Amino acid sequence: MEFPIAGVVINPLLLAGIGFLVGILGGFFGVGGGFLAGPFMFWAGVPTNFVVGTDLAHMTGKSMVALRRHRALGHVDAKLGFLMLGGTILGVEGGARIIEALEAAGSVDQVIGYTYVVILLIISAFTAFESVRALRMIQTDRLDVKEALGFQAVAKRVRSINIPPMISLPGSGIASISLWSIIGVGLVTGLLAGMLGVGGGFVRMPLLIYGLGIPTHIAVGTDLFEIMFSAGFGTLTHALKGNVDVMMALVMHTGAALGAQIGAISTRFFVGPRIRLLFSILPLVGAILVLVRLLTGSGLEAL
Amino acid sequence: MAKRTPQHANPIQDVAWRRLLVNFLIELAFYGLLVVGYFFLVLRLLGDPLARIFSDNLTLYALASLGLIVAQGFLLDLVVTYILDLLGLDRLE
Repeated sequence: MEFPIAGVVINPLLLAGIGFLVGILGGFFGVGGGFLAGPFMFWAGVPTNFVVGTDLAHMTGKSMVALRRHRALGHVDAKLGFLMLGGTILGVEGGARIIEALEAAGSVDQVIGYTYVVILLIISAFTAFESVRALRMIQTDRLDVKEALGFQAVAKRVRSINIPPMISLPGSGIASISLWSIIGVGLVTGLLAGMLGVGGGFVRMPLLIYGLGIPTHIAVGTDLFEIMFSAGFGTLTHALKGNVDVMMALVMHTGAALGAQIGAISTRFFVGPRIRLLFSILPLVGAILVLVRLLTGSGLEAL
Repeated sequence: MAKRTPQHANPIQDVAWRRLLVNFLIELAFYGLLVVGYFFLVLRLLGDPLARIFSDNLTLYALASLGLIVAQGFLLDLVVTYILDLLGLDRLE
């Protein structure tokens, strides 16, 4: 099928298939999947300047579908999502400006790239360690899965911060938490997203769970809430620069919508620690993809 | 220490879960058929008009892009919901 805006001919089933796979990831883990969709789109022949913008467009629609499912399952804390949004937007803007400043000072691709790899590997290792520990706690201590979190030190410390205003998050089962803690999480993830050019889902998810103590299923749904808005904003800005082929995005979205439903519904069949254990694989995949790009100078197409 | 309670029962053994799973598979089948029909009847016709807007007015194109993605998301979900309600099938929610 011809896509006249991007000026390429691509099999629409391939695009829908990519959307379907990334949709499952998004629905199940609450991530945008851009770190995976990007290389696959590039491999499929999508021109470079259309990859990011088109992916953000399809991510917006996919997040909507997954979000509706998660909301019906009671997995979305909209109050938390809206409060975090301000910090996320500020963080993204800040991250983009930092990149501009660093680029003006000299070449920073390698520094940012390897920093990204280190961050991803730490997230992967820590999430795997914590979730295995939580699963053992369920078996040996006979804990309820909702209480099984293998690492609670940071969340307890964060919740003990009493800088007003204090907010209650009944949707997440949190009686009182400082608003600045919530904005801080949004700021950090937005900063990383702005600097690294990603949605930030696989950083936000662990921060919500281990930093704020949000239950895993709620973190998945709420993360999608953030992605929907940030991806929507990104779609607009990239479309204004002529970097979005909306036809491609719509085709990808038809597959993503199906995948997102499967992913979202599947969370009901997995307990929180198992979702976190499976999630730990994603940052590892992301780190490998970034390493391939750093070492070869190109993406998956080099393999 | 909290008493351990299984958060998720074995879906295969539970009849209610099996029924919901079958309903969900039926829903997916309808969804798939709708998507294929939508693709051939709507998406293929949008290509040229969108390309013209892209060439003439990027601001309009940007708004149209976001609007189309959001509308498609709502549309696909609404149509499937309507069909399932018409058929009297339970939703997983």
